[in-house]
Amino acid sequence: MSDEDAERSDTRRLPTLDKTPDGTEGPDGTGGATPAAADAPGTGAADHHRIRRFRSARRVPAALAALVLLAAAGLLLYDVAAVRANRPAMTWRRWLARELGTRHLDNPWVLGAAALAVVLGIWLVVSAVTPGLRQVLPMRPAAPDTRAGLDRAAAALVLRDRAMEVAGVQSVRVAVSRRKAKTHAVSHFRELDEVRADLDTSLGEGLRQLGLAHELRLTVDVRRPKKR
Amino acid sequence: MRRGRGRVNRVLLGLIGVVLFGVGGLVLLGGLDLPAKWHLGLPAGWPWSRPDQVLLPARQRTRWTDQGWWWPVVIAALAVFLLLMLWWLLTQLRRHRLTEILVDSGDGEGAQLRGRALEAALTAESEALDGVDGAGVLLTGRRGEPHVRAVLALAPHADPGTVVRRLSDEAMAHARRSAGLDRLPAEVRLRAVKHRPERVS
Repeated sequence: MSDEDAERSDTRRLPTLDKTPDGTEGPDGTGGATPAAADAPGTGAADHHRIRRFRSARRVPAALAALVLLAAAGLLLYDVAAVRANRPAMTWRRWLARELGTRHLDNPWVLGAAALAVVLGIWLVVSAVTPGLRQVLPMRPAAPDTRAGLDRAAAALVLRDRAMEVAGVQSVRVAVSRRKAKTHAVSHFRELDEVRADLDTSLGEGLRQLGLAHELRLTVDVRRPKKR
Repeated sequence: MRRGRGRVNRVLLGLIGVVLFGVGGLVLLGGLDLPAKWHLGLPAGWPWSRPDQVLLPARQRTRWTDQGWWWPVVIAALAVFLLLMLWWLLTQLRRHRLTEILVDSGDGEGAQLRGRALEAALTAESEALDGVDGAGVLLTGRRGEPHVRAVLALAPHADPGTVVRRLSDEAMAHARRSAGLDRLPAEVRLRAVKHRPERVS
């Protein structure tokens, strides 16, 4: 396939791939993976695929644009053909021709429409160039032919579950952005510093287990529950 | 195949965006009288250079209307554009799905494997994996080189890295072997099933 060829042609070894072996050591201890499974990341790194963001197919903007253009062209074609068949032009077309021919460029309507066109144009160009799918975090390749992505909400849930296992944590909120994982925990017993240290190690290991291509930066905030 | 559609969409959207931006920008430039304010020396044929101009003067609009070729050309161009937009819209609505795969049995006789059968097998095997709550598998690509798109719902307390590794080592490897494929590229998205916080330890 053409995209695979493109991936092959400009492969570069990313620094994150070097961390693959020690990064996967963690889950092997707890997850009980087989030795064969532990070898898989090694072959993945040897194949050195570039880790790229997931790209949206941009179906919704494309469908909207196609629908609008289709409707406009269809209406115009119908009216042009109708006029050719000696029927009167529709009112909107005569109105549009008159407005286009009489309204000056400094008319607020013309300026407003032009500004709208500029904004819409910028949005379309940006959506054409950017990958989209910002809620999907790309994962390290587990095998040569497998590309995997983890939803940010899923990453937050996994981290939350890990944080809840720390003794002293009463409740926890995890917000995962594309680069950071912010954790706000409420602790009702034990020293806050101890809880924070435990959360740091537990969530640090949890982050490695997520197997993301670009590891998230972790911030941990621990508080006492509000007095009632 | 899917990547192809994404590329077409992006190119066409970018093209429309550039046209909209260009036309809107030109009208704004002329409408706000910026060439005069900024002392820009615009070329002679520049459209919309002064605020007292109109968007489309009647003389311009009717320039070719008395020529015999004008209306047939307009109608033909509109018809072609209409068909193009119809095709573009329909490609968005259609979901590309592989109905069958060519299996090379090695003795010169090929066999056909129904896409649904392989999808069902992959789905069942993915769902049986530890830490997977549900799975949806779709085969795309071409008959000779299929491509797997999978969405897995992670069970509570699943380990995403291990799930992906086991998926590719077990379900994907079995599918690749049973269909006799050299390679079976896969794109996997992991989602989570919402659940309440609870202690397991």
